[in-house]
Amino acid sequence: MSSEMRSSASKRGAMTPASGLALIWLIARREIAERLRGRLTRVITVVMIVVVVAGVVLPGVIKSHPKPARIGLVGQAAQALTQPLTRAAAASHISVSLSAPASAAAAHSRIDAKQLDASLTVSAGGARVEVRETLASNVRLLLQTALNETRITGRLKAQKLPVGEVVADLQPAHLQVVALKPQSAEQGARITMAIFVALLMYVTLAMYGMAVAGGVAQEKTSRTAEVLLAIVRPWQLMVGKVAGIGVTALGQLALTAVAGVVANAFAHSANLPSSLWALFPAFLLYFLLGFVLYAFAFAAAGAVISRQEELQAVTLPITMPLIIGYVMVFLAFGSPNAPWLKVLSWLPPLTASLMPARIALGHVAIWEIPLTIVLMFGSIYAMVRLSSRVYAGALIRGGGRLSRAEMLALARGRDGAESLRR
Amino acid sequence: MGRAGLRLAGLQHRFGGLTVLDGVGFDIAPGEIVGLVGRNGAGKTTTMRILMGILTAQAGSVSWDGQAVDATLRRRFGYMPEERGLYPQMGLLEQVAYFARLHGIAQRDAEGRAGDWLGRLGLGDRTDDHVDALSHGNQQRVQLAVALMHEPVLLVLDEPFAGLDPAAVDVLAEVIAQQAAAGAAVLFSSHQLELVERICRRVVIIERGHVLADGTLVQLRERLPAQLRVKVQTTGEMTAAGGGDADYAWADALPGARVSAYDPDLGVLLVVEPGADLQAILHAAQAAGPVEHFGFESAGLIDLYRDLIA
Repeated sequence: MSSEMRSSASKRGAMTPASGLALIWLIARREIAERLRGRLTRVITVVMIVVVVAGVVLPGVIKSHPKPARIGLVGQAAQALTQPLTRAAAASHISVSLSAPASAAAAHSRIDAKQLDASLTVSAGGARVEVRETLASNVRLLLQTALNETRITGRLKAQKLPVGEVVADLQPAHLQVVALKPQSAEQGARITMAIFVALLMYVTLAMYGMAVAGGVAQEKTSRTAEVLLAIVRPWQLMVGKVAGIGVTALGQLALTAVAGVVANAFAHSANLPSSLWALFPAFLLYFLLGFVLYAFAFAAAGAVISRQEELQAVTLPITMPLIIGYVMVFLAFGSPNAPWLKVLSWLPPLTASLMPARIALGHVAIWEIPLTIVLMFGSIYAMVRLSSRVYAGALIRGGGRLSRAEMLALARGRDGAESLRR
Repeated sequence: MGRAGLRLAGLQHRFGGLTVLDGVGFDIAPGEIVGLVGRNGAGKTTTMRILMGILTAQAGSVSWDGQAVDATLRRRFGYMPEERGLYPQMGLLEQVAYFARLHGIAQRDAEGRAGDWLGRLGLGDRTDDHVDALSHGNQQRVQLAVALMHEPVLLVLDEPFAGLDPAAVDVLAEVIAQQAAAGAAVLFSSHQLELVERICRRVVIIERGHVLADGTLVQLRERLPAQLRVKVQTTGEMTAAGGGDADYAWADALPGARVSAYDPDLGVLLVVEPGADLQAILHAAQAAGPVEHFGFESAGLIDLYRDLIA
């Protein structure tokens, strides 16, 4: 070997020394770029935004404008009820819209055309109300009150008594309502939010988890993994992929959250209790912890398959606890303070689903949050150790899908697991 | 500082109950091209995977310039696995540049180098295409670009010629020669022994996890007995009915030589023991008819391989 050749050889392969972190970032960045390029990511982002904005705006649109009761007053006698009706409606917070149809027949046809809810005709014999099907009880009460008032005023006038003084006393008395066991006005909103965060958590964790498993499976089946593992270590490859998909997921969720807040600012509709706004950071926190925990399990699952079609079957045991966590939220409404529910929500596989929902219901003690964070960190550590052994051992293995026994052997650190420790 | 270049020593690898490598060791100097030859399952791919850090040997060492190879050092190696591994839905330029970045090439250089290499390998007009839109041969070229981008000090190619047409074989052979001339150590495996013979001076023959032979082709040939080709002109009438047996009946009982092969056009091939009486062989041939050809032939790699495996 000549010395010139040796010196030229030493110049070859000159490179900027990259840290492990820089390699992980490179891998994560490729992952993000691939996700952003994919049409599916854009479609999902749009769907998430539409669902959340609709969820914020629609309840307001539906609830905030109760339709007034449309009453037609037919004839002079009925039209004389205009003032007492308006007064009584105002006193009992009922919204009415009064009109004066030319005749009973005209009123009839307007009821048929659904332009009127009721028409009132007053004669010497009494009053008659025509409706399409039924008369709402509050409208009946309103008409009754106005008729009574008019009859009494008529009698007083006939007796030449000072109507003005008496009528003032006829104003409906103020009625104070005192609830002995008041139900929180927020309760409905809280339950809705609990269901919403539990559903969102289940959908996003399962969706992004499957993205991780699918990405790993693609690298295995396309044999790209072997080329990659000649350059980077298995754990760097796994962490880079999980980080890349995690960043994409957080980006999508942040966009969705911003859309929800903006929609709420414009619609002024979701009368959310102010304490519920703490759900945003809580959701993101538990999403992040849950995603990391589940993503590494999904990554190991993606590595043991030999064909993409096997992905559903292999990931089923991982999606199971997610589904269970979501279903448990419905049991939580009945007994939000039950000890069993608390303990279940501290179990790391269920924490991501149950804790945000319990926070939404307002029954979480502050100390439970650091407790669950510590438990999640512990289980993430165990999961990373376990799954990276399976991942490293299975990723370059040819042949069919790994059996359960082979996976267990890898998880215990036999065969191929050495490649992680280098 | 130890010897320049790569040194594998005492590699042991067991998988399940099976011993795949049992003490494999050899060296490759910078600028040297070494062919790794052996039948399926002999341990070629396992040796390369250990060398690239994809598998870890249970015993033995891999060193470069006397220094144990770690992940950082290994990123200066280039690898082309037996089964191609590229992202199917990623553009060529982007993909090759990505692998260059992983090898430590700066961002500003990576795309330029990727473009250069794709151009040199005849894919300059397809830089935006996805890998899965390419033919097998073109995917192979992309894989080669991925292995070469960072000017590796060691190039490890597992069956690089498998499935290539003759023109692609020539391109690849030329690239390998250029890389070695520029100072890279090259290790490649192949079943195509005539290609190995054409491209490299030195071969390592591996069988059941052992190195059977390691040396230049000239050195290895010396280990084989000499082969003598003798063509005797015959009338042809004798052979018309009874096959060719009679053509070399004269050679059947020669002292110190035995018939290894016969071809009606080329004559008989004799394996001659050292010290055999060549004059006696010539006389025996002349007695059978006019001698058209009498000379030694050098053994090919195939003969070497067969001899060693047997």
